[in-house]
Amino acid sequence: MNRDMLVIGGGIAGIQSSLDLAEMGFKVYLVERLPSIGGKMAQLDKTFPTNDCAI
Amino acid sequence: MLDVGRHPNIELMAYSEVEQVEGSAGCFKVRVRRKARYVDEAKCTGCGACREKCPTDVLDMYNEGHSTRKAIYSWFAQGIPSTHTIDPDHCRVLQGKKCGVCQKRCEAGAIDFEQKDKIVELDIGAIIVATGYTVFDPGKIPEYRYKDLPNVVTAVEFERFLSASGPTHGHIDRPSDILARREIAELEKEESRLQKTLARYEEKAGASSQSVFEAFAAETAPPEQQQWMEKYREYLPLTEKLAALRSKAEGFTTAKRLAFIQCVGSRDLRFYPFCSGFCCMHSIKEAIIAHEHENATTSVIFGMDIRAVGKGFDEYKVRGGNKSNITYRRSRVAEIVNGPNNNPVLVYEDTQLQKVVREDFDLVILATACAPNEGMKEMAAILGIELNRFGFFKTRPENPLDTTREGIFVCGCAHSPMDIPESVAQASSAASRAVQTVTVTPAKLLKIS
Repeated sequence: MNRDMLVIGGGIAGIQSSLDLAEMGFKVYLVERLPSIGGKMAQLDKTFPTNDCAI
Repeated sequence: MLDVGRHPNIELMAYSEVEQVEGSAGCFKVRVRRKARYVDEAKCTGCGACREKCPTDVLDMYNEGHSTRKAIYSWFAQGIPSTHTIDPDHCRVLQGKKCGVCQKRCEAGAIDFEQKDKIVELDIGAIIVATGYTVFDPGKIPEYRYKDLPNVVTAVEFERFLSASGPTHGHIDRPSDILARREIAELEKEESRLQKTLARYEEKAGASSQSVFEAFAAETAPPEQQQWMEKYREYLPLTEKLAALRSKAEGFTTAKRLAFIQCVGSRDLRFYPFCSGFCCMHSIKEAIIAHEHENATTSVIFGMDIRAVGKGFDEYKVRGGNKSNITYRRSRVAEIVNGPNNNPVLVYEDTQLQKVVREDFDLVILATACAPNEGMKEMAAILGIELNRFGFFKTRPENPLDTTREGIFVCGCAHSPMDIPESVAQASSAASRAVQTVTVTPAKLLKIS
């Protein structure tokens, strides 16, 4: 059985999944279609309900 | 994001696409196409010297087309990886023309016009699909006249206007004013070009253009000055037009009266019947931030109801109303028409006054639906999983993150519309489901034997 993980999409969900898996000790391949990860969230200025910076 | 870039267990494959998935849970064979960036990822330091001299301007979709980037670009300033990418559809060299300025400027020698797509084969235990969503195209709703009226924008566009790194550096300039300023800049360029030409004629003849023009009118000027006069005739209306535009531009102010229209494409039987869940909150957030930028800003949020369901969300809504000049108006806007000074005029029924009202605003922001991503069908075909009736990946209520194929899990907006806190929570759950697929437990061994 392979233990490596594939995450498709580098938005906030993909990033969180990848980090969790990597912290658990698994090798993760994170595939993103665009030149940089971040997804829709990287386009946001602030996030609700805390008005924290998105990036 | 930065943590992803430097985590030893994560191999980041940006600018890549999954092409084929074979096998079954625990032993998937996955083929990934690493698209050619024409920039060597190992050498590029992300300094940006290449893009300073690139001659080609392309609309920047990170800023929703409200600014331009170069043909060699990084997706956004803080992007991970910071490796630049050449856009093959716009690069002069890759379009067969002469250029290569970036190659000369790159001190790291990272530019490689000969780079080809690379195919990578991976052996994978479990897959998490987090392909996200796309913003509903409000152009499908003719009564809101998106793209037709300049001062009607989507919430993501407005988000870019609010951002200090956005096209207006955080000032809420109205798109109609931005267009006018751009026109002024273009006319000024043309004006200075004509002025230079006229100055050359004037120097040569030792007379002013105006005096020759008058001589022409009196038919006393020599015919060889015909060309000069043609240029001058071009110049005169241009200066008039420019003066008129300039005096108009003096009256430009930032947008201070904002209207937010909720449920654009969602809770609408013509498009998506579901509630997108986060739009009420992001409209409130944008109104609060706009008020923070400029205290005189007032906002009206038009919606059937405000759905502030989540930890601390309702308090946020109340705070917006009390402290950030937000009015919540229960109404479904029927139509947007153009008013004087490019102000969008909203026609709606105020359900409390029981009256049809026309009200004008500086800027209208459409809270667009969370629509399934483009290419979901192709993605589903590659992964061998099913879509639900709206076009999101299909899951079962008893295992909400399991797709129809064992070993493939879904989270975030590829699952269904959801906000950031929920996406993060789901992502962690999906990670744990994926681990369960590849871990051998005594119970599993018993099942096999």
